[in-house]
Amino acid sequence: MVLVLALGDLHVPHRAPDLPAKFKSMLVPGKIQHIICTGNLCIKEVHDYLKTLCPDLHIARGEYDEETKYPETKTLTIGQFKLGLCHGHQVIPWGDLDSLAMLQRQLDVDILVTGHTHQFTAYKHEGGVVINPGSATGAYSSITYDVNPSFVLMDIDGLRVVVYVYELIDGEVKVDKIDFKKTSSNQSTQ
Amino acid sequence: MHRAVVDPLLSPILSSDSVSRRSEPEKGRFGDLRGLQWRINLGVLPSSSAASIDDLRRVTADCRRRYARLRRHLLVEPPVPKNGTNSSNLEMDNPLSQNPDSTWSRFFRNAELERLVDQDLSRLYPEHGSYFQTPGCQGMLRRILLLWCLKNPECGYRQGMHELLAPLLYVLQVDLERLSEVRKLYEDHFTDKFDGLLCQENDLTYSFDFRKSPDIPEDEIGSHGNAMKANSIDELEPEIQSIVLLSDAYGAEGELGIVLSEKFMEHDAYCMFDALMKGANGSVAMADFFSSSPVAGSHTGLPPVIEASMALYHLLSLADSSLHSHLLDLGVEPQYFYLRWLRVLFGREFSLDRLLIIWDEIFASDNSKVENSADDNIDYGFRILQSPRGAFISAIAVAMLLYLRSSLLATENPTTCLQRLLNFPENITIEKLLEKAKSLQDLALSIDISSSSLLLVESHYQSKMTSTRSTVLPSESVSPKTPLNFVPDSYWEEKWRVAQKAEERKKDVVENQIPTRKKGWTEKIKIRLRRTESDPPPSRVLSGQRGSKPSFRRSLLEDLRKALGAEENTEHEQRHDEILSEQDNISEAVEIEQQDSGCNSDNNSDDKCPSGNSGHEEDSSIYSDSTSPPNEANDHEIASEKNSATSYLSLDECNEILETSPIDPPLPISDLPVNVPPTSVSNNDDQGNNQSNETSDTSPSDPPLPLPIPDPSQNLPQTSGCNNDGEGNSATQPKERKQNKLQWFWKFGRNTVEAISEKVGGGAAEATKSANSISNQSNSLASPPASPAANGHCSSVGSRGDSADQNMMGTLKNIGQSMLDHIQVIESVFQQDRGQGASSDNLSKNVLVGKGQITAMTALKELRKISNLLSEM
Repeated sequence: MVLVLALGDLHVPHRAPDLPAKFKSMLVPGKIQHIICTGNLCIKEVHDYLKTLCPDLHIARGEYDEETKYPETKTLTIGQFKLGLCHGHQVIPWGDLDSLAMLQRQLDVDILVTGHTHQFTAYKHEGGVVINPGSATGAYSSITYDVNPSFVLMDIDGLRVVVYVYELIDGEVKVDKIDFKKTSSNQSTQ
Repeated sequence: MHRAVVDPLLSPILSSDSVSRRSEPEKGRFGDLRGLQWRINLGVLPSSSAASIDDLRRVTADCRRRYARLRRHLLVEPPVPKNGTNSSNLEMDNPLSQNPDSTWSRFFRNAELERLVDQDLSRLYPEHGSYFQTPGCQGMLRRILLLWCLKNPECGYRQGMHELLAPLLYVLQVDLERLSEVRKLYEDHFTDKFDGLLCQENDLTYSFDFRKSPDIPEDEIGSHGNAMKANSIDELEPEIQSIVLLSDAYGAEGELGIVLSEKFMEHDAYCMFDALMKGANGSVAMADFFSSSPVAGSHTGLPPVIEASMALYHLLSLADSSLHSHLLDLGVEPQYFYLRWLRVLFGREFSLDRLLIIWDEIFASDNSKVENSADDNIDYGFRILQSPRGAFISAIAVAMLLYLRSSLLATENPTTCLQRLLNFPENITIEKLLEKAKSLQDLALSIDISSSSLLLVESHYQSKMTSTRSTVLPSESVSPKTPLNFVPDSYWEEKWRVAQKAEERKKDVVENQIPTRKKGWTEKIKIRLRRTESDPPPSRVLSGQRGSKPSFRRSLLEDLRKALGAEENTEHEQRHDEILSEQDNISEAVEIEQQDSGCNSDNNSDDKCPSGNSGHEEDSSIYSDSTSPPNEANDHEIASEKNSATSYLSLDECNEILETSPIDPPLPISDLPVNVPPTSVSNNDDQGNNQSNETSDTSPSDPPLPLPIPDPSQNLPQTSGCNNDGEGNSATQPKERKQNKLQWFWKFGRNTVEAISEKVGGGAAEATKSANSISNQSNSLASPPASPAANGHCSSVGSRGDSADQNMMGTLKNIGQSMLDHIQVIESVFQQDRGQGASSDNLSKNVLVGKGQITAMTALKELRKISNLLSEM
């Protein structure tokens, strides 16, 4: 059982002062084993904060990140799942499922996590999952202004992943979850 | 499975086991199977010898079922998301949920706990890592600890629990080794038995989980019994027989009831651990020692560890008061080292094989509470000393302290002392230690409960007062006689301390009680005094009661002599008493103290009468008058009584000397040896419970002791007093008898306030007068000590007056000043005398005049010192 936190597009301090207090209170050290971040943090302080939650932090570079050392894309393997990470501004049209699926095939991953649109989406596609955790701070994007803060927590256990979606709607944290099971045949094709 | 691994360990253990068995033939029912014996001793299995093997099996099976149920309920697997989960409770049941009841947070809590446990387990017994570090063993230990902590969330996991558990699991493993050994030896019996049952056993696995045969169990048992009978005829030892029976898969409860089963080791270990931690309805529950909150039912309101530590020191003070006082002097609190000893039951001090022997003894001690006849007394004892097991644990600790005694006494600072305590030597003879501990256990159990309450009171003071040293002496001097004599007093002291607030209401009761107690005390002390002296006339009255506790008294005196040390002790004592008296003045708890001082006063005043004070007749007449009930405030009465005690303290001695040699003028120094014992008795009483005025009385006279006797503090003044009396008032000697009678009469509860206070005034004035007159008479020997006595009288009066004003310090200052004055007077007289020459000393027919001069000089010096000290204070 591994808990993976996926979040991104915080845009601190340009578009949002900080993570919502409710999120901050939920995100406590000791529970989460990995953090994957889709970028646009944008400053080092956010990076440091995420490090306090969990030292195993993976970040792909967003277009506003001060830190230039972040890679454009990153892949990592957790349990039996291969995860791909990309901010998503490079994938056009932004947030398009087919383009993202292409990237997923390129990276050869089971789960692709992208951001940039500031909208939570999750697709099951071709035996894999494409997830956009949205903006953790609810920062506006170039596409939309009313953004609900959201992030994603993945519980990866063997061949199965449960995606918990945390969304702050009208000051209340709503939780949803999506079950995804990797089939063994899927695994064999990879 | 761990057989090969454990074997090297096993052999020394078995050998040492056999050693201990040799020394102690009676080893319980299953002495050979330590694990089984422990299970019985810990209360997991029925202990009665009537319990058959089947009973054992049933209980075993029950325990295992309980554990299995617990394990099912409490061990939370990571919540596996189910497809059909409704999203309604998703708000609660998500990994980041803040709700403490959600399965996720339970899971995280368990994981946290597990991490904690693992941290300790990974370091468990690295020297025996080949067994304890195996994944199987670690897994078992972890699960047991987790389950226990989850079952008892109020206690939780504390470091050290794993070290309590590990030996338990280990002995179970050793039992299994033993079983397999036996099986190898008596293979034919095992196979014989089961050949007919179509049960193939596999020797290599050493497991006894035979597949269940389709046969009807009753038949099995029957045939099995027959087989056993044949076997037992076949010179099968009963031990082996029971092992065979215990490992039979076809007895009661079937496989689950196999008492020695590798499969259920975890279950059994849990049950043992649980019984050990919870105490199995006994009074010693190890879990208490891990909690910081006081246990319900302990009257001290202290954490159990602290209480146990106090019990340890209390026991130590009884066993070896000098070591006790040394540790106290160094400021080595018992919990500094006892915490470590107690929490893992000495697991860190001894290697595993030795530890098992110690635990054998600990568990063999009954854990049930010893019921006392007086129910209300139970509240006043140390909890840990209330059961043989707890007492034995304390006794082992004391035995360990005693083992280190010489090196501990050699330490000069607390750090090295603790270093020695915390690095207990490895190469120690366990048997001797246990032997010692057993004798100490008897001592611990024989401690009367209220005597320990005395210590509680003292420690209460200790917490109140910043100065620990001042409490050292009282505890030291009082404790040796606790078992017999001090029981009622300390009990009442405690009682009164508790009831301080309700004092007013109970006043009547006290007044009723004090006289009776006094009487008892008076007589006792009288007896004591008489016994030490050659037969004095008044003893006739008491002849019926004489010799009631002579041997005790003797030992008491010895103890006291030991306990009463150097001069500075008196100073400490004095300080202590000051504080005491201050406290007492404020509260009305004076009466508590009074009970003892009252005894003293009785004692003193009883014996005092023949002394040649002119105030005598007055006093005695007052005594005879004093039939009227007390009509003044209680504490006033006490105060006056105390004064009487003080004023006659010195006279008391002289009386006795007079009795011994009524015609010859007493020779102070030659008389001293005779005087010592009674003096020390009374002095000791003072130490324990008296107030400052008495101490201030004695302490100034303390210095002039050039004598080797340990407690000369009162000797000199008293002797001098007697000298003084003998010389100044020898005419009154014929009245002695009568006055004694009067005294005795008075003893029967006719203590009136006015009478005594009058008497005090008279006595004090008289004493001063006599002192002065003596000094004028230029009795070089008698004068220096006599004047302190006079001072004491004055000061005691003064101090009492002040104490009414609750201003002790001022009084002390007064004492010091008056002392200085007197010293000056004496000095001048003394020098005058010297001018005249020693030969002009016509009053004392003492040959040792020159010596006396020197003594007097030193006395004066010391007096000056003390007066300085007093005035500084």
